[in-house]
Amino acid sequence: MLQRGGSPRGYDGPGTQVSGVAVAVGGSGVTTQPHGVDTTSVPGASRLATLRVSTKLVELWRARELLAQLVRKELKVRYRNSALGFLWSMLTPVLMTAVFSVVFTQIVRIPVDDFPAFFISGYLVWQFLQNSCQGAIHSIVGNGELIKKVYFPREVLPLSHVFSQLIHLLLALLVLSPYLIYSRGFGVLVHLPTTLLAIALLTVFTSGIAMWFAGVNVVFRDLQELFVVIFQVWFYATPVLYPLALVTAQMGERFAWIAQLIAINPATWFVELARLGLYGSVSATGDVLVPLRDGPPAWPSVTSTAVAGGWAVAMFVVGYLVFLRRARTFAKEV
Amino acid sequence: MEQRRSIGQLAGAMADPNQPAVVVDRVTETFRLFHERPSGLKERLYRMRRASYTDFNALEDVSFTIEHGESVAVIGPNGSGKSTLLKLLARILPPDEGTVRTNGRVASLLELGAGFHGDLTGRENIRLNGAILGLSGTEIAERFDEIVEFAGVEHLLDTAVRTYSSGLEVRLGFAVAVTVDPDILLVDEVLAVGDAEFQERSLDRMRTFRDAGKTFVLVSHDLDAVREMCDRAIVLDRGRALFDGPVSEGVELYKQRVVSSAAPRVDRRRGPRQVAIDDVRLLDSDGELATEVARSSPLVLRVRLRALTEVEVCSVGVVVSRGDGTHLYELHTTWQGVGVGPLRPWQEAVVEVRFTAHLLAGHYAIACSVTDASGRETWAVVAEAARFAVQPAPGGAGLVDLSASAVVADGPVRRTGDGKAGPIPLPRLQRRQARG
Repeated sequence: MLQRGGSPRGYDGPGTQVSGVAVAVGGSGVTTQPHGVDTTSVPGASRLATLRVSTKLVELWRARELLAQLVRKELKVRYRNSALGFLWSMLTPVLMTAVFSVVFTQIVRIPVDDFPAFFISGYLVWQFLQNSCQGAIHSIVGNGELIKKVYFPREVLPLSHVFSQLIHLLLALLVLSPYLIYSRGFGVLVHLPTTLLAIALLTVFTSGIAMWFAGVNVVFRDLQELFVVIFQVWFYATPVLYPLALVTAQMGERFAWIAQLIAINPATWFVELARLGLYGSVSATGDVLVPLRDGPPAWPSVTSTAVAGGWAVAMFVVGYLVFLRRARTFAKEV
Repeated sequence: MEQRRSIGQLAGAMADPNQPAVVVDRVTETFRLFHERPSGLKERLYRMRRASYTDFNALEDVSFTIEHGESVAVIGPNGSGKSTLLKLLARILPPDEGTVRTNGRVASLLELGAGFHGDLTGRENIRLNGAILGLSGTEIAERFDEIVEFAGVEHLLDTAVRTYSSGLEVRLGFAVAVTVDPDILLVDEVLAVGDAEFQERSLDRMRTFRDAGKTFVLVSHDLDAVREMCDRAIVLDRGRALFDGPVSEGVELYKQRVVSSAAPRVDRRRGPRQVAIDDVRLLDSDGELATEVARSSPLVLRVRLRALTEVEVCSVGVVVSRGDGTHLYELHTTWQGVGVGPLRPWQEAVVEVRFTAHLLAGHYAIACSVTDASGRETWAVVAEAARFAVQPAPGGAGLVDLSASAVVADGPVRRTGDGKAGPIPLPRLQRRQARG
């Protein structure tokens, strides 16, 4: 009476699994996944895992329209009922720059030329990273109703925050570039590729970390409380306010580890890279009276590009895999 | 299969006609019910010491295959796993055990207007909702006018959806969902919204869809709609597939077997517990436990009761009802002048009620009660003391075995067959293995 599915288990070869949103071959719904057993521990699972990830990427590509619509929604809804609207994406960094410039040129002196230009060239990319993660961390938990009711590649939710922030960043850059050109010369324009490369790599990096935050926050909600602390510490561990060269130059033997820590921090590499294109290089002179010398915008070294690129890819892969693993059970957990 | 897999094919989202539309193979879905949802650090540390959850199988070992073009209803009482099953088909949930394979584009009407954002206009929400349901930009543009026309929202297109009435919002959601043009459509009890005209239009749309040879899975409590829209029914009860077959039989079974568990209840004032019913057995003429009996066979209901206090006299009541709750027969022993008592505390008594089940094929339940002699106060009740099924047999259809016989009183007679051409036999029940 009951139709006991006549097909043997071994059939699990990839069928065409299609959802309302995208196509999946093999993949989550198709493979037998015993409860509590990680796919990767199943024999032959590595091939499956590769298949799964490539499937997911195809699925993500097919969901680009959804991503675009979500970014539009993000942009539109964010500034509804605010008089200045889009201007805020430029005003916030400008105001922050004004405050920090007063503090760090008049009260505590950070010995760089054009501190406002120096600060904003790093702060724009930092703000992109922080705001993306801040939006993404609530993106799954806050869309529980949607997740329980419709299937779509869940990663579009955190990614929509990354891309809407990317648009904010590009707009802010566009508006602020006259000032940077005025204070740093036409080298800023000439070295635009450096800036764009930094932003591109940072977007990949941010996508990874945003997905990680979004996925982990579903099962570990303390993360959203810890978020402020994490980003506060991270902000000071990243050379946004101060040049990296200053740390290397002024930290004694005893605090050499701090300089190392800052150098390990991935955000350092992206901020330095972006600043190289927008502001220029800052290097230590060894002189006590004039400890720093700044140069015009320049092309990045192969090493720094490779490190930034490495971080971007590694973070994206880790964040994406963690997210995908978590995403299977989002509908039960949100 | 393997070789033909290419991005182009994936993008086309074509259904492979050589494979079934849906294959559900031995699927179990487990929900972990946390007594206190641990999601913070403190709870997490606490959980390391002691697990405080129970696992609950929303679906247990469910298997079925749906071919292209079939229209299938999934019916069952609340909490039987219908919605979970639909979510598995829609890929919202992954199966914990077993596999779910769908072949073709799946669209679900699980939730209309999912992802509507109140601050966006109707126009923007159509695009957003369409994208959530998996339409590409051009597909949405192509269908835009059709959606607007179907939902009847031309004049509100550039108004924020927040100002729409809830009915209008659902209409817009439905309009977007049905234009997805899937190969497999999943519908979960959505027809209960909207005005009569819209419901009719929605049903029309689904009929068109079904008649176009698309695969269709409907979850509903509206048995008339189920009967009309579907050819096949899967009856779920407590996570198990009880039945899978023609829709008329499935609906009948659901009515009889499943609705009954909630229905028969001896409705009388509940008095203090003076008597306990220890055991109720339904026996056949050989003294064997009777679960499936032949038509009009003699049966004995043996009730063993025990007094909890001093009992002067009590009466044992028996109610026989059909699976769907129809009251068929009621007897209290005192109506026949038979009372039980006097009983000392803890003294037992056994009452036997003999009867003949003049019933036709179907599922029946017996409720048993102990009351005072007048039947005003109920002292003990077993709502579902026994169940039995009467086997189908040729000769008559309906509820009661009237033992009719037919003769041709005047005119020529011709014998047709051997009298075996009876009514449609009831499907055998798939018995729950783990029953109390």
